[in-house]
Amino acid sequence: MIVDQLLIKLTEVFAQDIYTAGAENANELYLEVNPEKILEISSYIHLELGYPLILMFANDEQSLKTGYAIYYVFADRTEGLLLIIKTLVDSGKMEILSLSKNIPSASLYEREINDLFGIVPVGHPEAKRLVFHGNWPDGEYPLRKEFDVRHKPVFAKKETDFTKVGGEGVFEVPVGPVHAGIIEPGHFRFSVAGEPIINLEAQLYYVHKGIEKLCEGQSIERCLYVSERISGDETFANSLAYCQAIEKIARVRIPDRAQHTRVVFAELERLTSHLGDLAGICLDAAYGFATFQFRMMRGWAYGAADELCGMRFLRSVNKLGGVRKDFAAGKEAKLREQLQKIRSELEDTVNIIKANSLFIDRVENTGILETKIASDLNAVGPGGRASGLRFDVRKSFPYEVYNQLEFNIPEHHNGDINCRMNTKIEECFESISLMLQALETMPDGNVLEAINSVEPYRFAFGLTEAPRGENIHWVMTGENNTIYRYKIRTPSFCNWPALCHAVKGNIVPDFPLINKSFNLSYAGNDL
Amino acid sequence: MFNTIKKIIKYPRLTQDYPYKSIDSSLFLGRTEINPAECNMCGECVSRCPSQAIVMDKTSNNIGINYDECVFCTLCEEICPTGAAKTTNRFELAEKGKSMLRSNTLIIDENNMTDASHEIICSQLEVNIKKIFGRSLYIREVDSGSCNGCDYEINGLNNPFNDIERLGISFVASPRHADMLLVTGTATRNMQLALAKTYNATPDPKLVVAVGACACSGGIFRDTYATSNGIDSIVPVDVYIPGCPPRPQAIIYGILKALDRTK
Repeated sequence: MIVDQLLIKLTEVFAQDIYTAGAENANELYLEVNPEKILEISSYIHLELGYPLILMFANDEQSLKTGYAIYYVFADRTEGLLLIIKTLVDSGKMEILSLSKNIPSASLYEREINDLFGIVPVGHPEAKRLVFHGNWPDGEYPLRKEFDVRHKPVFAKKETDFTKVGGEGVFEVPVGPVHAGIIEPGHFRFSVAGEPIINLEAQLYYVHKGIEKLCEGQSIERCLYVSERISGDETFANSLAYCQAIEKIARVRIPDRAQHTRVVFAELERLTSHLGDLAGICLDAAYGFATFQFRMMRGWAYGAADELCGMRFLRSVNKLGGVRKDFAAGKEAKLREQLQKIRSELEDTVNIIKANSLFIDRVENTGILETKIASDLNAVGPGGRASGLRFDVRKSFPYEVYNQLEFNIPEHHNGDINCRMNTKIEECFESISLMLQALETMPDGNVLEAINSVEPYRFAFGLTEAPRGENIHWVMTGENNTIYRYKIRTPSFCNWPALCHAVKGNIVPDFPLINKSFNLSYAGNDL
Repeated sequence: MFNTIKKIIKYPRLTQDYPYKSIDSSLFLGRTEINPAECNMCGECVSRCPSQAIVMDKTSNNIGINYDECVFCTLCEEICPTGAAKTTNRFELAEKGKSMLRSNTLIIDENNMTDASHEIICSQLEVNIKKIFGRSLYIREVDSGSCNGCDYEINGLNNPFNDIERLGISFVASPRHADMLLVTGTATRNMQLALAKTYNATPDPKLVVAVGACACSGGIFRDTYATSNGIDSIVPVDVYIPGCPPRPQAIIYGILKALDRTK
């Protein structure tokens, strides 16, 4: 219905430039358009219709006789609709028109495509490398089909060029990639004058493992296990997004009991992750008591996971078409008891920390991410919600049984650490309530509708709300139940640039605290 | 303040007694074992294993799992037609040599070989090292390309349940203060230099422990353009801790094994 209306509206404006149009999987509208007009079309969609660009990726479709294609994915978050604009790249020129000046969130995607496919964004304001560091030689593009996944190019020697900030008394502080804490690697280049940070540039991709390339040509079953290992603490959200995409392609509706079980696990993961983030914020503010309270609760949440499936990181829970076992059977009472214990402890602890003015003073008005910047960069998840971008995939693109369960999205506007912390605290309570509701309403029945084969060259999106925010996967199948292309965009990819903006004007010692309040995944960003 | 004190008194001690007493592991998913006697050599698990960790030799009727490569997904148990593959709750899996984790011998190709002199020096120093470290050890953790699962489990060593400092072991901020490097991840292309520099910055004598399937062998991310097959192609390794990710207790076991403090 809505898909048709949107198509009519777009054909009225761009009749000549839309070559083909087709709806897939109920809410995905694919349009192939004239690449010369992409600037006008994307600006119309972004500015007139107000759809944010949530993903952009390239695909080597030479074996499908269409050459290289670029997909621009826009989302209508009120109607739950994805609008996908596809353009073909002239294989002689290998160039696309850059959208970055009109749509800032396109910038990183275009740099990524440039690195991985060698398709140059013409008119990009800052077209330097993103994925590859100085050791990668020119002219090697791993996501082109002719590139062999095992090929290791020679090590080149090039300097990374960082944005230089000029002026008297300005100096640079390099940090990383090996950090002082037990965290993942990444290099931060602070330009500071005295204490306040003028600019922060993050050089990531230290843990780039080539996951997207690795999955190409592999069986759909193996890729499930790879998807579980995209980002350790978002195991379930990632494997769920992958399963959803394959289930849409196979046109399988999974059993109700499996859907409820998935909600329980997805919320348990969110609870565990948020409790860890809260512990991290308290730790970096040197608030030891609260740190250990949250770590204790996190330990209980891990205990609940152990109880349910024997895996602390919820691995090997999802299967294509459902879940591996009936995990919840017979454990409902114990889980309920554990959740209530966490809830009452969390209430007590939150009351204590909110009454501590020294602590609140540290987090309030620190690391403000303005709403305008957040929406320009398409900040997602708790990071975006704290800045007033009040959307949640569970509401805008409901999956599993979320539309039958009751929950609220926290509303905050200030965009500082305090708001992000409160968003996470409120979401912890919502997660506990969601788990209890899902356990309450869980019907009997089987938990797996096995998928053994899928049609070749079909594609679908999987969207989930990971603990860090909107998580989007696009899967295209190949021959013999393999993967042709697997595009992964985790919430961390969107929020890293937002973090770099949030630290500006703050003092260097507040950086760890601001970083923890976002708690982004390096592995999920670098792939 | 009163509430804070009340809470502190409420939970006097949460720390588990592991490793002094054994832990109840009945809920844990440990390593999967394949019994060759029950196996009909159909090869289903060999072809479907996500990290290609299962090796089978039809002539001698032998089958086994290379635990340095295994990602502990339990798929083999699930698909085994004869029930020969069974998941146990064994989690103390750390070993000092890779060959002790493997069912088939490792073929090391020439460019993967670490500098031989390291190994000679290490073996000579080994006796002295343990004398010097005694009962205290400083650890620097290096993530060389993991999915962050192992890192969260290492973080878990500091939580109230494991509290590794009671064993005289603590984490330090700089490799220059460290006795041991706890390395996770596959040593990706972009981290190789950083890992080597961190190793060189750590004063001798030093120990290196590889945590997780990725660090032991590359795990599921083996053989891509951006990864190397385990950190032992970059730095010499003293103890391998398999698992995906290994639980905090398994990591404690591995660290103590490196110090010869396990029973």
